[in-house]
Amino acid sequence: MPVLELKGITKAFPGVLANDHISLTLEDGEILALLGENGAGKTTLMNILYGLYKPDEGEILVRGKNADIHEPNDAIRCGIGMVHQHFMLIPVMTVTENVMLGIEPVKNGLFLDREKVARRIREISEQYGLEVDPNAYVKDLPVGTQQRVEIIKVLYRQADILILDEPTAVLTPQEVEGLFKILHTLVQKGKSIIFITHKLKEVMAIANRITVLRGGRSVGTVLPAEMNPEKLASLMVGRQVSLVVEKAEAKPQGMTLEVKDLFVRDDHGNLVVNNITFEVHAGEVLGIAGVQGNGQTELVYSLTGLLPSLSGTIHVAGKPIQNTSPRHILEQGVAHVPEDRQKHGLVLTFPIHDNMVLCTYYLAPFARGVVLQEQEILATSEKLAKQYDVRTPSVFVNAGTLSGGNQQKIIIAREFSRPIKLLIASQPTRGLDVGSIEYIHNRIIEKRDEGTAVLLISSELDEILALSDRIAVMYKGQFVDIVPAASVTKEYLGLLMAGIKPENAPAAPSGQRTIEVDL
Amino acid sequence: MTEKPIQPKKEEKAPASGQIRQALLVPALAVLTGLIIGAIIIIITNEKAATAYGNFFGDPLAALFASWEAVATAYGSLLVGSFGDPGKIINGLGILFSTGDSSKFIRALYPLSESLVTATPYIFAGLSVALGFRAGLFNVGAEGQLFIGTLASAFVGYSLVGLPWFIHLPLAILAGALGGALWGAIPGYLKAKTGAHEVVNTIMMNWIAFRLSDWLLNGPMKAPGFRPITPQIETSAELPRFFADPLRINWGFILALLAAYGVYWLLFKTTIGFEIRSVGLNPDAARYSGMSIVRNTVLVMALSGALSGLAGTAHVLGVDRWVGQGFSAGYGFDAIALALLGNSHPLGVVLAALLFGTLRSGATRMQSMAGIPIDIISIIQGLVIIFVAAPAIIRWLYRLRNIKSDTTVMVRGWGK
Amino acid sequence: MKKIFAFLSLLVVASMLLTACGGTTSSAFKVGQVTDLGGIDDKSFNASAWLGVENAQKELGVTGKYLESQGQSDYAKNIQQFLDEDTNLIVTVGFLLGVDTAKAALANPETKFAIVDYAYPDCWPGAAVGKDCGSDKEIANVLGLTFQTDQAAFLAGYLAAGMTKTGKVATYGGLNIPTVTIFMKGFEAGVKYYNQQKGTNVEVLGWNTAAADGVFAGNFESTDDGRSLAESFVQEGADIILPVAGPVGLGSAAVCKETGNCLVIGVDADWYETAAEYKDVVLTSVLKKINVAVYDAVKRAKDGTFKGGVATYTIKDGGVDIAPYHDFDSKVSAELKAEVEAAKKALIDGSLTVDGVLAK
Repeated sequence: MPVLELKGITKAFPGVLANDHISLTLEDGEILALLGENGAGKTTLMNILYGLYKPDEGEILVRGKNADIHEPNDAIRCGIGMVHQHFMLIPVMTVTENVMLGIEPVKNGLFLDREKVARRIREISEQYGLEVDPNAYVKDLPVGTQQRVEIIKVLYRQADILILDEPTAVLTPQEVEGLFKILHTLVQKGKSIIFITHKLKEVMAIANRITVLRGGRSVGTVLPAEMNPEKLASLMVGRQVSLVVEKAEAKPQGMTLEVKDLFVRDDHGNLVVNNITFEVHAGEVLGIAGVQGNGQTELVYSLTGLLPSLSGTIHVAGKPIQNTSPRHILEQGVAHVPEDRQKHGLVLTFPIHDNMVLCTYYLAPFARGVVLQEQEILATSEKLAKQYDVRTPSVFVNAGTLSGGNQQKIIIAREFSRPIKLLIASQPTRGLDVGSIEYIHNRIIEKRDEGTAVLLISSELDEILALSDRIAVMYKGQFVDIVPAASVTKEYLGLLMAGIKPENAPAAPSGQRTIEVDL
Repeated sequence: MTEKPIQPKKEEKAPASGQIRQALLVPALAVLTGLIIGAIIIIITNEKAATAYGNFFGDPLAALFASWEAVATAYGSLLVGSFGDPGKIINGLGILFSTGDSSKFIRALYPLSESLVTATPYIFAGLSVALGFRAGLFNVGAEGQLFIGTLASAFVGYSLVGLPWFIHLPLAILAGALGGALWGAIPGYLKAKTGAHEVVNTIMMNWIAFRLSDWLLNGPMKAPGFRPITPQIETSAELPRFFADPLRINWGFILALLAAYGVYWLLFKTTIGFEIRSVGLNPDAARYSGMSIVRNTVLVMALSGALSGLAGTAHVLGVDRWVGQGFSAGYGFDAIALALLGNSHPLGVVLAALLFGTLRSGATRMQSMAGIPIDIISIIQGLVIIFVAAPAIIRWLYRLRNIKSDTTVMVRGWGK
Repeated sequence: MKKIFAFLSLLVVASMLLTACGGTTSSAFKVGQVTDLGGIDDKSFNASAWLGVENAQKELGVTGKYLESQGQSDYAKNIQQFLDEDTNLIVTVGFLLGVDTAKAALANPETKFAIVDYAYPDCWPGAAVGKDCGSDKEIANVLGLTFQTDQAAFLAGYLAAGMTKTGKVATYGGLNIPTVTIFMKGFEAGVKYYNQQKGTNVEVLGWNTAAADGVFAGNFESTDDGRSLAESFVQEGADIILPVAGPVGLGSAAVCKETGNCLVIGVDADWYETAAEYKDVVLTSVLKKINVAVYDAVKRAKDGTFKGGVATYTIKDGGVDIAPYHDFDSKVSAELKAEVEAAKKALIDGSLTVDGVLAK
């Protein structure tokens, strides 16, 4: 008997049929991957299962019995636990306090029994190899450990069906490895897991079975052994997808960005960019690789005027821009695809058309004097939305209601449609689905070929390798090395990212290559 | 995460009627609920009704009738006090048509005139706070800015003698706006430059304004004679009234409506408003896209202060024409409620101000005819604000579908 | 939803009809009081005036109402409301209503008005009638109710001089206006008279008639100001304080009660009763019987003896006085009591005057 069975689940929102008669089964002790692009209906389905939404139709069976789930507490009672993509933890509390929130055990009728909970956390932690200190404060824990705290919360509530919503979106490659190990331990000890994702490689690596959703419908359940990434991708997207970036040899021209002896402190006063010098030429992509948190963010901020630099010079097309305002820098022809699109890139409660002109609203033809020219803004936005494939009912829709991929396309459309000399793209495809990644990669190469200098910052090594012509590796605020992309191996970059610069770099195969993107 | 429902477009573009209804539903029900609870309070505090309820099981009808009578008398006189006595208006119309004498008719409109007179400073002050909200700033200092604006315009109004009205009146209005703008810009500048929270600073500025006005009215600005009031302003600085005494409705009301349109235009039709709204909704994105947070903060606080200043200016030039202690009935504080009720939209603020204006104005008659203290209006206003600020209560009370609305009012938290 | 709105509109219409039809047209004599910003519960002017109206309701069979003013623009509006109701006598409280009262009175000669603490003519040379001031001559249908509070304050000053242990007494006002400073002047005179009689040198802090200046809180609201003023007076050595600033004085009373370092003298009403929480530090109170004056005005208006002009209430007719000593009765020496009583008699028969003492 399956531990969990969903039958004909249907849920409509105004204007959207989010789930259209979806059925799936979860067997005892297996990892079922729920694969689908953003917007395919995965999250809605899981929210229904967890009691956050009420389905319009369909039923949920837990161990063969009809489960009446109206709210999360019902789901917990049925042994269903959810690990959300965005953690529901209170940073200033300890692990123990976070775990006991909502079900605080009491001793002597009055006092919180922290010890009891801590004991239980240690037990769970040992049983499943989670390695979490119950007395640590959540704010001090790395992201991967915070996720394990979420898992402990679920296990503490005695769940045997675990739902993980995009659990790898926030993790480093090493942390992903660790998570997979934990998931294997969990199923070995009798838990069953639904693993929601849109990343093909992960699915191939971990799932026992894969249920693919597309456009609110289930398009089939497959076994990884019968599949390869291409097949899965086309099942998920509904058409043939190219998983490689086709690009010609770069034809670099004059120098567009020149950075000399740059030093930057972060908000806390730490020196995070420590003497960096580099240049980017028109018509080439310089990729900056490196583990997150090695100063890439602050480097970009200082290039775009969001953070003052301590010393050093930055020139764009020969003009000094260090420590000038963001607007001045924009006006020099610099485009910035920000790392955090929701924080910097968009005003989520603005409609699409306003976001499309967020950097140019004050210029002709969008403004005459101080008066906004709405017709121009609308016409341009509609044109851009079409041109850049932003999928939306209209440009009047608030940006916040769109999927991550479509939000990113708004930013791409806005930044790429301006006359620009330098494109700074920071984590341009983070958290996006296959289709969007493919699209954005092609656009970046297109910009390069138009003669724009591109500075690409990404923590995805495969993305760096796929797009860059030269690669700089950043470690602890410094560039360890800058190497031509054509003659470098992943292993060599890996060493550089760890701060090691071998005297004799291993020889790399020469000639043009295409590198598979990690999806 | 597109599974979320597609949100209706916000009010920037002409929205469909259904969306207007959606936007008005909660405030309207909040007002209704406030009135109902007000009625309950009226019944509880009514002696006759209380006596009747003492004998509820003996004669339940009497209790109900007494309740009805208490509420009907109170709210009836409130309505008549707000809009006028229908009998007198019809009678006045009759005289107007039969004899061409409009005086009776105009006289019957006195309550309506008073409602609009009260609404005038409410509109200005509500716009002031709403504009701040739009930029993510909480201007609690509207009252102080109003004080300074009032005193500045009164000073220009009485001290300059012999000017023609078309110079004197604009000068007096400008002085009021500038006075308020200065009082708003100071906390704005402190916020932008030092990060000092505007709530704290505007409250401080309020106290400075109150004490400063005490001093000015007892000293430099005191009229001859013993009373601590300013001299009367010159006729050339008066905002003309539309009718003869006692109707006090004047050009200030028209100015207020123009200001509302002006704020709407500024917010939604200009690059300045685009920046203000961006800064309010997402300061990080605003900075990213090249907008200056510092400039916008100072600008919005100055504009907000100017509007508050105009609230007092319109009142002193149009209605009072002199300034004494306690000249404001707390317009600047009620303004916060107005901005909330009006969802920080100029049209919403105007509607909310008209509502508060009529309530406040009608309350005079209710106080006299039904013996209900004027404070009941404050209670009703307070209830309305609670319900608007916590729409969940209203949704639960009326079993409304829970449609998540993305808020336009987003006051940034403490810290920088 | 529709049902709710339909029901509401029905309710509205019904209530309008009810009030429109049921308008009471009783022929009772109507009195309306318009308060100033203090409100009806200010434990001072407005409350005292309303007491007079209430007494008239009980004893003269008139109907009384009041309207509270919340802002400056309410004065004219509230007067207008009473005019609309054909009120026979409108009582306005305080100088802030001076111009609006005069305007309404001149426009409605049939209606009688009484104004507390104000009188016409109130214009000064060069003032514009109807704008800067109410009227440049008496108004036939307005009775100004004024009080010789300096006479009562004189007695309080004499008493304070006799009771002080430190040889220093103090007074302060709300604002530097005649209705306030008249108390302070009388108080100073009383102390001076005591010094003249006894050859002592009791000092008065906070007011000097010759300089026409003294200490003022600047408002009639802030009890905090009352606290800090009392504290600084005590520091300067005063042990009896006469605050002439309405509720501000309660802050001073609170300081005296908490520290036990001082006593207060109440004003307007008998604080022993109206501010009973401080009764153990209230030496006496300077009574300004607004209620008596208002009652008189109602009585005259009702029985037809009402005449415009000014009615000044003095120690002679009992309109001003000092309150009983209450708990301090045993602490005030019989000798001092007799002297105060003698001074009162002298003030009544005119052999002693406040100005006369000050002039010496």
